[in-house]
Amino acid sequence: MLSIKNLHASVEGKEILKGINLEIKAGEVHAIMGPNGSGKSTLSQVLAGNEAFEVTDGEVVMNGENLLELETEERAREGIFLAFQYPVEIPGVSNMQFLRTAVNAMRKHHGEEEMNAAEFMKLAKDVSRQVDLDPAFLKRGVNEGFSGGEKKRNEIMQALLLQPKLAILDETDSGLDIDALKVVADGVNALRSQDRAILMVTHYQRLLNHIVPDYVHVLAGGRIIKSGGRELALELEEKGYGWLGIKDEATADNAAN
Amino acid sequence: MKPAPTLSMAFLHPAGQLLPEPLAALRKQRGTALVDMPLPTRKTENWKYSSRHLKLTDDMAISLPAEGKTGSSLAVPGYKVAFLNGVMMPEASEYPDLSGIRIQSFGDLDDDEASELAQRLDDTLGGSDEKGAVQMARLNSARFEDGLLIRLKPGAALDQPLFIIHETSADASGSAYPRIFVDAGANSQITLVEEYISSGSEPAMVNTVTEVMAGEGANVTSIRLNMEGDNIQHIGATGVVQQRSSRFESHSVGFGGPLRRHDLRVRLEGEGAECKLNGVVATRDKQHYDNHTSIEHVVPHCNSEETYRNIAADQSHAIFSGRIHIHQDAQKSNADMNNKNLLLSNGAEIDTKPVLEIYADDVKCAHGATIGQLDEISLFYLVSRGIGRREANVLLTMAFINELVEQIPVEAVRETVQGRLSHFFEQTFLEA
Repeated sequence: MLSIKNLHASVEGKEILKGINLEIKAGEVHAIMGPNGSGKSTLSQVLAGNEAFEVTDGEVVMNGENLLELETEERAREGIFLAFQYPVEIPGVSNMQFLRTAVNAMRKHHGEEEMNAAEFMKLAKDVSRQVDLDPAFLKRGVNEGFSGGEKKRNEIMQALLLQPKLAILDETDSGLDIDALKVVADGVNALRSQDRAILMVTHYQRLLNHIVPDYVHVLAGGRIIKSGGRELALELEEKGYGWLGIKDEATADNAAN
Repeated sequence: MKPAPTLSMAFLHPAGQLLPEPLAALRKQRGTALVDMPLPTRKTENWKYSSRHLKLTDDMAISLPAEGKTGSSLAVPGYKVAFLNGVMMPEASEYPDLSGIRIQSFGDLDDDEASELAQRLDDTLGGSDEKGAVQMARLNSARFEDGLLIRLKPGAALDQPLFIIHETSADASGSAYPRIFVDAGANSQITLVEEYISSGSEPAMVNTVTEVMAGEGANVTSIRLNMEGDNIQHIGATGVVQQRSSRFESHSVGFGGPLRRHDLRVRLEGEGAECKLNGVVATRDKQHYDNHTSIEHVVPHCNSEETYRNIAADQSHAIFSGRIHIHQDAQKSNADMNNKNLLLSNGAEIDTKPVLEIYADDVKCAHGATIGQLDEISLFYLVSRGIGRREANVLLTMAFINELVEQIPVEAVRETVQGRLSHFFEQTFLEA
């Protein structure tokens, strides 16, 4: 489904990704782990098409199509979905309006009829319950005044509505307490299917207790330095990133606390 | 030094015959008083950005004929008064006889009524030292050919909004001078919708004056929609004087043109009076829009709240100048003024000037002004969900003003306005 070859990317002239190679097949769940500053979020943003990042070399092919030549919105319509690490607050645009516009943009792209307000309301209410969000939030501004956990659940809700081919989850576990983590994990597990791939980016392995990956990759210094099965995550948990000869200030800080 | 240009006699003394004698006499007197009036120039502070767009050519001294039909672009329920080129069109107007409420054209007043009105005209816009704006309203006083007098007896309430449609029909060059005078008695209530539209494509000017006297406890809501074509210069003034415990609300929505100017002056003269002034402006291409507001807290315990938003695209220019004047005796005044601005292109310009003059020591007075652009991260968020770039831009731009549009109290007007603003921005981003 997704093939990344020798991907290099920089931001403001500084190279962050230094040759990423990754193959993801439909139905697979991959986890990318790595210390802060290793390029995890950059990889997510580059795949989704954030223009703040410049791709300087390499290729990304999804289902035979050169992803890097597509605009952000075209990638989304082809099935890329990025759950943001920091979902954006947009006062003045209601969640309802935002979600319906997005769903209808997808439907239009696939030659399906657009949903009217009443049809969509019913669907949105059902899905919001699935991620334990009060349907009243649909009337509020996009992520406006949401807690960290509500924002993350809103991201998963969007994934459930948009039914992507590849869902990229950028630090979806950060800032969640254990209950919220469980709700989010249930949502992600509901996304798992034979024709969908999931790429999880995470610093810690605790999310992987709830969403069990097929493959784990360790990203450091802009390259994947080790790949393995889920046991690799457990090994990292036990031994820390230092085990792989990686400096990790955040982990060191945590250990010191 | 070259003297500033003044207006010709043809401009100051038009021929119109419709008015009763006392009003015709007043008009003549106002015209004579303006003989030496210098026109605003770039050095006139209040006309700094707009004087070069003001085209008072001899062609503009010609009165536009009030013939033909008018039609609102608002298909909404309510009472309706239609004006064409500043003259009321009874056959296109529809409003019932209501007890306690009189709606009359100036031309229909008898001499006593006209004489009483003549004594009160300009009161809400006089006594100011800001010459430029007053001069343009006085030009209306020298040239109005008709007008609308709305009188509400104490306690009278209009059960539906009153739409006043001012159409400028510019099949030839010239100018029109619509005029409205609202006398809202104690505890009366009215919602007015002033809609300015145009037909024809010749360059023309419309110079409007609306005056509102809000009596004790009166509640007056004014919605002003500026929807004229790109051949129309619009210069408008609204003057409001509020008595004790009265409330005035203004919702102004306007699209740019070669010249759009609105002066809104509110005087809070009775304790407990409050006003709320909301404004939304959208400009594109080389359009221009200049809002000047002034709120005077004359007595203690009054509240004012003002929120204006400008959005300028392409090479357009939007201006906001907001003045709050708290007089020495006006203790315990509450005044809040907020102006936010959105630039949609590098070539657009927005100027904002909040002015606070506070002469009392026990007041709460806040003001804020910002100028910004659409947020790139918000835009990325929207397009990453498959929403097209143009639609995402329109959503974010509408988000900037939704808070104000949602406050427009008449649902049908609110929906129409939402649709027109969306359409305006869809066109704007189409060409971008």
